[in-house]
Amino acid sequence: MTVYKYFIKIALKNKWTILGYTIIFFSMSLISGSGATEREPKFMETRLNIGIIDNSNSELSTGLKDYLEGKHNMVDTIDDEDYIKEQIFLERADAIIIIPEDFQEKVINKEKSIKIYNDDRKIESMQIQNQINKFLMFANATYEDGKFNLANVNLALREKAKVKLANNNREKNNSINNEWFRNYYNFTSYVIIAMYIAIIGMVMTDFTDENIDSRMKISSKKFLNFNMELYLGQLTIAAIITSIFILGSIVLKGKYIGEVDFIKYVINIIVFSFTILCFTFFINNFTKNKFVISGLATVLSLATSFISGVMVPQEFLGEKTLLLAKFFPTYYFVKVNGTTVNSFSDISFNIFMQLSFAVAFILMGLYFSKAKQKA
Amino acid sequence: MVVEVKNLVKRYKELIALDHFNMEVEEGEILGLLGPNGCGKTTAINCILSLLNYDKGEIRVFGEKMTPNSYDIKREIGLVPQEVSVFENLTVIENTDYFCGLYIDDKNKRKQYVEEAIEFVGLKDYTKFYPKKLSGGLKRRLNIACGIAHKPKLIFLDEPTVAVDVQSRNFILNGIEKLNDEGSTIIYTTHYLEEAERLCKRIIIMDKGRGLVSGTNEELKSMISTSEKIVVGFTEIEDETVQNMKNILHVMDIEKAGEDYIIKFENGFNNLANLMNFIEENQLVYTKLQSQLPTLNDVFLELTGKELRD
Ligand SMILES: Nc1ncnc2c1ncn2[C@@H]1O[C@H](COP(=O)(O)OP(=O)(O)OP(=O)(O)O)[C@@H](O)[C@H]1O
Ligand SMILES: [Mg+2]
Repeated sequence: MTVYKYFIKIALKNKWTILGYTIIFFSMSLISGSGATEREPKFMETRLNIGIIDNSNSELSTGLKDYLEGKHNMVDTIDDEDYIKEQIFLERADAIIIIPEDFQEKVINKEKSIKIYNDDRKIESMQIQNQINKFLMFANATYEDGKFNLANVNLALREKAKVKLANNNREKNNSINNEWFRNYYNFTSYVIIAMYIAIIGMVMTDFTDENIDSRMKISSKKFLNFNMELYLGQLTIAAIITSIFILGSIVLKGKYIGEVDFIKYVINIIVFSFTILCFTFFINNFTKNKFVISGLATVLSLATSFISGVMVPQEFLGEKTLLLAKFFPTYYFVKVNGTTVNSFSDISFNIFMQLSFAVAFILMGLYFSKAKQKA
Repeated sequence: MVVEVKNLVKRYKELIALDHFNMEVEEGEILGLLGPNGCGKTTAINCILSLLNYDKGEIRVFGEKMTPNSYDIKREIGLVPQEVSVFENLTVIENTDYFCGLYIDDKNKRKQYVEEAIEFVGLKDYTKFYPKKLSGGLKRRLNIACGIAHKPKLIFLDEPTVAVDVQSRNFILNGIEKLNDEGSTIIYTTHYLEEAERLCKRIIIMDKGRGLVSGTNEELKSMISTSEKIVVGFTEIEDETVQNMKNILHVMDIEKAGEDYIIKFENGFNNLANLMNFIEENQLVYTKLQSQLPTLNDVFLELTGKELRD
């Protein structure tokens, strides 16, 4: 088992890569976890008196106005700085917003678009900025072919609101925990892709290096045994990494596992992990260039996470983006995490799709390795 | 016969790397494969080891046909490849252990073998070093340790001293002699003729994929017509006198090299004495007088019309 032993040994020498991604992962999940559940509801419930001056009169500005009107009381105002300041000083309004003429363009270009006057003495008035940001972020995520999909934005905002309103019952806790697990496991897809390619992929380039490969070929080690040990090594490393993340969720939210589909998350991450291992196999047969591989680790993990709904929920992604996402297993992994399971058939299709990708990656890998042998 | 190669032909597309190459290696000898860059030394080794497919020919090792699945034969073979082929991410001792582990499963035995190999190449103080921290010469020694740790009976060394300082080179050459004393048969490729002369019992001179001649050092040298060269410099000499020198017994040819003359003799005795007589008779004054026995370079030069090394 020399080959196995040294595969593990070299892989574990990448301790900084392993540690780095693990730290990124857990700090991200801690930040997003605490933020979502604690800070927002405190502001949420306060209705404020606000005034809006809409110089844009566009679809987007109307949408924003409708959204804010649903949350606050409207007061009249006029577009005059002194007047506005007076209104705020006398507490006739908690905040006044001015939407500029070129509002849509600025939003698309992600520039600062809205001017807000608010009452610094009233801490609640700060939430306006937050609400506007959220609206614009969602709006931007739906932007495609020169159009915003405001219906989707409203849907998403309402969904969030629903969660917030059901503040005191068990169900709300349940869905918050489910959301936490869902986000947590969705995000593992990013680190799993990045880590497998960066660690397993890199170690494999060492073993398949032409000179080192020749030494193996002339040795009395049987080719089959050699490969078996390498794959066993890969499985071991993959199992270690996957276990870290499963354990992490237990450590962080262990008391809620009973309330969520924990088994679903575990099965899903194992299937996904295996699929990405097969993907790494494909990459290793496709290229031996260390620079290409480390580049792929960074780019592919981020890009696939983004288009598949890890960073931004799938509901907010454009059709074309989602169509593209369907060509990579992360999409189906995220789907399973977002599905409420009553029976296995609820997720069977998406699990099946991931495993199909695994098979496809193996076949593609074999194809490239054969092609290379011939050359 | 430990290795037998008959009519081996290997082509890379248009290029003929080996052209009906023949080789026989007897048990316990050090055979030198001597030839210039690109003459096909590495290709020959790789074919023998089944690392490369070949177009034609027959290869037998330890009396049996060599194939990629001849694991029993492979167990007895060690290769020190031309390129340093080790893991950058493993230390000296880990590298040696890994490559030894491709042959030896028994842990205790392997531990002992690895220690012996590291001791043998003189890397005992560097066991925890990573290759990139080793000098060029030490890296080459590690490359050797990885190739011989499993105590093979037949060892191929492919230019193990290229780009190595004098100290490491001597160390390596002594080591190879020691391996041979301990009973290993050795095939050594090089384009340094001094190494081949010093180390090898028998030498095959290669050029352009062909084996030109083979034999012991002395056999090869006796094959060529020049057997002795005398380099001589005079304070003053007339062209006519130079012409007359050609009449000395056994003189074949006289070349002018700068201020000096190189006088080539064919086989014969007392060449130097005859030349001294001539100098005395003509009352010449010499500034330099050196006798040189032929080298393998002379052999190569005569066979191919070019120098072994540029
Ligand atoms: N993979 C290859 N593809 C094409 N040509 C090759 C390949 N490997 C070697 N050659 C060519 O085959 C010839 C013999 O090469 P080889 O490496 O066997 O020479 P060598 O005697 O070992 O030379 P050196 O002393 O430089 O190591 C050279 O002309 C070389 O360019
Ligand atoms: Mg060579």
